[in-house]
Amino acid sequence: MNRLQVREVSVSYRKKTGLKPVSLEATGGEIIGLIGADGAGKSSLMHAIAGIKSFDGEIEFDNHIYRSPKEAEKVKGSIGFMPQGLGLILYEQLGVNEHLDFFADIRGIKQDSAFRVYRERLLHMAGLSDFTERQAGKLSGGMMQKLALICTLLHRPKLLLLDEPTTGVDPLSRMELWDILNDIIAKEKTLCIVSTAYMAEATQMYRVLLFEDGEIIDKGKAGELIEKVRPFSYEAAPEPFENSITIHGYTYSLKPLELKPKEPTLNAVFFINFLKKYGPIPEISIVHKDRDEDVPATIMEAKGLTKRFREFVANDHIDMELNRGEILGLLGANGAGKTTFIKMLLGLLPIDEGELFLLGKRIKSANDRQMLKAKIGYVSQHFALYKGMSVRENLRYFANMHRIEPERTSVLIKEYADTLGFYSYLDALPTDLPMGINQRFSVAAAIMHEPVVLFLDEPTSGVDVVARATFWEMLQKLKEEWNIAILITTHYMGEAEFCDRVVLLRDGKKIADDTVKNLYQIHPDAHNFEDIFLDYYNLN
Amino acid sequence: MRAFLAIIRKELLEFLRSYGLFIVVLYSFTLDVYIAGNGINLDARNVSVGVVDYSPGFISNKILSDLHYPQFQEPVFFASQEKLNLAIRNKEIMVGIVFESDFGKRYHTGNNPVLNLLLDSTASAQSYLALNYIQHILMRFQDTLSFAPIEIQIHKLFNPNTSYSHFMALAELLSIITILAVILTAAVFVKEKENGTWDIMLLMPTDAKAVILAKSLSQVIIVMIGTTICVGTVLFGIFDLPINGSLAAFMLLTFFYAFTSAGIGLFIASVARNIMQVAQFSVLIMMPLLFLSGAWTPVYAMHPILECLSIISPLRYYIQGSESVFFRGTALIDLREYFAGVIVLGGVLFWYGFRKIGKLF
Repeated sequence: MNRLQVREVSVSYRKKTGLKPVSLEATGGEIIGLIGADGAGKSSLMHAIAGIKSFDGEIEFDNHIYRSPKEAEKVKGSIGFMPQGLGLILYEQLGVNEHLDFFADIRGIKQDSAFRVYRERLLHMAGLSDFTERQAGKLSGGMMQKLALICTLLHRPKLLLLDEPTTGVDPLSRMELWDILNDIIAKEKTLCIVSTAYMAEATQMYRVLLFEDGEIIDKGKAGELIEKVRPFSYEAAPEPFENSITIHGYTYSLKPLELKPKEPTLNAVFFINFLKKYGPIPEISIVHKDRDEDVPATIMEAKGLTKRFREFVANDHIDMELNRGEILGLLGANGAGKTTFIKMLLGLLPIDEGELFLLGKRIKSANDRQMLKAKIGYVSQHFALYKGMSVRENLRYFANMHRIEPERTSVLIKEYADTLGFYSYLDALPTDLPMGINQRFSVAAAIMHEPVVLFLDEPTSGVDVVARATFWEMLQKLKEEWNIAILITTHYMGEAEFCDRVVLLRDGKKIADDTVKNLYQIHPDAHNFEDIFLDYYNLN
Repeated sequence: MRAFLAIIRKELLEFLRSYGLFIVVLYSFTLDVYIAGNGINLDARNVSVGVVDYSPGFISNKILSDLHYPQFQEPVFFASQEKLNLAIRNKEIMVGIVFESDFGKRYHTGNNPVLNLLLDSTASAQSYLALNYIQHILMRFQDTLSFAPIEIQIHKLFNPNTSYSHFMALAELLSIITILAVILTAAVFVKEKENGTWDIMLLMPTDAKAVILAKSLSQVIIVMIGTTICVGTVLFGIFDLPINGSLAAFMLLTFFYAFTSAGIGLFIASVARNIMQVAQFSVLIMMPLLFLSGAWTPVYAMHPILECLSIISPLRYYIQGSESVFFRGTALIDLREYFAGVIVLGGVLFWYGFRKIGKLF
């Protein structure tokens, strides 16, 4: 049997610990899921096992013991590793067949008839049989990821390490990826370690390890883990209880409460762990603003927005309305056209066809776009702000750019820091901030000039469960308090739950646009949003 | 205006906080110029000499005694010309001198004495200079024979000690100004692309022109401060460079020139996607600019076509202008040609870069 034993393995980087000592044991035919936020230690563990990162401790696989990347050379032939990132191991200029030839050659596989049969089977499973000549750069995100997977499987590895293979991939391709995996593992008795950001996938795995801050906070079968937190999960309490967390329709408490119990999900494990470690989540609020009742109900309207890059149509006649006091989720897999669309709305990309209205006024000239910019708040991907300046200096810079008076700026910075809970971090550099604080401070920088609409580009990818939940809470409060419109893009279909309305894009086309309530009514047998979107994907 | 100043402050702050870049810039303006001034030496120094003497030795020894430090090493004697040849081939000896057996006799009788020189001219400039020295030495011996000795009086103008360090240090500073103004300006934009703050920058309700101008100006300020430090400490402090013209004129010329380079930086920023590409494009664009400028070869010594091309190199006017200020002490009014060259070419370059990057806004 392919037996993997990880004994007290820890990984450290120059400045910080990537992974605190971890032990693990697994055998062939199992799927081990690694779950946690970016920087929680999942990739560090995978890199250590794959023998591409030096580590402390000892790993044994296939009766070979190794303590360093050098000693791992002898097992590398039986390991398949797929790093994080869409199609990272592929070469854009090479075709599908050329990829398989290339990977077969560098792995030194004997190209006999058995191999050809296996190769055909992989191609068939990946649904790439009809695209063998197409260049990798011209495949869709889902296809690229499937090709990367079968390239990794080509030498029949006994140990398969997949680092977030499904992140940003559309729901249909994701299901297909899992079908390939399950099939191979059943037939080849491969040991498979997969990290994922999708809780729903974790539930289907044989065993899961939950990561946080370089530590495994819990491990076991998903069912068992859920069972353990069941006594602490309740229906949301109308009033907050002491030492509890109320979020997303749940109340978590370590002490028994007089509430109706509620079926927990894996997320509960993270909240309960947080509760044990740090206590309840600090309350955050939003700076009060006098409501501007003159703002029309429809803040932004896009009519038939189209964007072409040469013959490629990135956005195909998309209509969208963005209303006051509404959170609109713009959903879609990587490459579906979310970023292009949002850039047109922001006035960063010229519109090829169609019309854009802000507050009832058509945006046409450069002057209009300047007006557009002044009315929009924008939080970029990964909360990128200026790393060389402290939180306070960043905020002051943005205030200056928006021509806010210096005296008022000082007052505003204090107010935002107080209410959003980052006062003690005001003089820290953004890179030294915890993720949750960084999020709030980025939002503060984006809303200081009191925009009528707030755009957030993938604010939640790679963020841990607790920070993500508090982030959504903050957006809800912001919406209620300020009555502004919020547009948020995400590839986590599950996050649609927290929006008021969702627009689903696929291959540059809008395939769904409805309120969350309506969608649930139309699809009564869907358990969650993944299911609903799968319906739309299957339809189109 | 507040936004304009806010951008400049932000860029300066970010520059000071990125220690790596700060140290590189500081190094370039101090140690690098110092090394260039002190280290690069095209003079013939420490040249190794091999001698085969078939003659009785009296006059040959007299000649050899004139080959001395610092230009020449102590001559090494070889038994035969074959051995000398071998030594030259093995790079042990750079200059070989062979005295024929009748050398002394012919010298005294005035019957065309022949001195054979073997020269390893791999390092062409050095060997050429060494040859020159030897010819000078021989000339003295010839003078005693000739009836009308001509004494040559040499007046070295502008750089009385023909000091290489003065020339090289100044040339290096001018090159550093060019390179840094280009790279810093390009980097200040491309860094935003790399860090994902590019969109945020574009979304500021500030006029694109103001953003570009403020960002460029902030880097020009850094270059100006660096130049001041360099002139003060390295040029005046260490090399004791004389300045015959007005320092203010030099600084003003530098200011205009820094904007010229910033224009090239803007162009690079508009096409480069990351810092790596900035470095690549910079080398690609700067090299011809430096070659054509006369920084390394005087313009009049170039091929006619290159000489024509050098008219469009702003660095040419900048270098000639700066050298005029330092060495010749040219008055401000007579520098107008150089100012015009820098401003006109700089204006075009900056305008072009400005438009290129402006299209991204």
